[in-house]
Amino acid sequence: MILHILNRPPSSSLAYRDALVAMGSEDRLLLIEDGVLGAMTAQVRHFQAIDGRLFALREDLNARGLLGQCDASVQVVDVDGFVTLTEEADKTVSWF
Amino acid sequence: MASTEIDRYLNVDSQHVALDPEGYLIDLAAWTPAVAEALAAEEGRVLSEEHWEVIEVIRDFYSRYQASPAMRPLVKAVGQALGQEKGRSVHLMKLFPDSPAKVAARLAGLPKPANCL
Amino acid sequence: MRSHLPVTGDLLVILRQVPHGSSWLREGLDAALVAAAFGQSVTLLFQSDGVLALARGQQSGPLGQKGTAATLDMLEMYDIESLHFDLEALERFGLTQQDLLLPAAGVDASSIPQLIAGHRLVLTF
Repeated sequence: MILHILNRPPSSSLAYRDALVAMGSEDRLLLIEDGVLGAMTAQVRHFQAIDGRLFALREDLNARGLLGQCDASVQVVDVDGFVTLTEEADKTVSWF
Repeated sequence: MASTEIDRYLNVDSQHVALDPEGYLIDLAAWTPAVAEALAAEEGRVLSEEHWEVIEVIRDFYSRYQASPAMRPLVKAVGQALGQEKGRSVHLMKLFPDSPAKVAARLAGLPKPANCL
Repeated sequence: MRSHLPVTGDLLVILRQVPHGSSWLREGLDAALVAAAFGQSVTLLFQSDGVLALARGQQSGPLGQKGTAATLDMLEMYDIESLHFDLEALERFGLTQQDLLLPAAGVDASSIPQLIAGHRLVLTF
């Protein structure tokens, strides 16, 4: 399993498209920084191809006041959870 | 990387050639064969025919790719231009001891190789 | 030319940015050169807008800024010869293999995960 990390929102950057294309069937995607906009219920459709393998960083959602808007299909992790995801992965690939 | 900080001047004939703190030329256009000889003389070296052919290879490399080569590509370029017998790191180590890519670039009036620690 | 997978190596550098627009492309190429200078086997993937780095006929910028075309020519001197590009991206710009300045292998989007899986380290730029 490879952990992909995306820090750009699908509303203004196509980086998410490159990330999705590059993901294998077991890979996970973690949204951080402005990437967490993609976890909002109104945006999460961009990630339907990886349903169940989408994560978002709690601290970045909170900072932007978006935790309440985060879709139920997204797994919210804190920084410790981020570390765990990294440890479970063979490697990480960043998209920005 | 090429530096623009002038550390000292090298006197070659009646020219004053500006050098950076590591001894590389500030103005690459100021290079002449006499500059190479003066730089080598400072290190107690006299340039032989074998030195000159490598200097020519590295200058060709720079004019083609706009960058000074690290050791591996220098070895490859020398091998392509002068034959496999010379395209070996021992040959270059003998001519330009310590760090052939850096020493040869300096004598050839080129920037310090960027990809070379 | 199509890519024959699996392609494996120490480092995969994914280049996604246009020449001249930012320093990302140059930095990605520099990372590849450093790794190759230390004997690592390096693969490049030109993805999305990054395929334009391979376009023929690039020159210096309006203020004389050096582009990356000379650096691409230099890759073979560092034994970086495993070059791949995103076929769909090239088509998106209306370009074909004949428009490229280097021999590179086209990969389908569906092959990119394999390319990533085949390398120990993956850097994106």
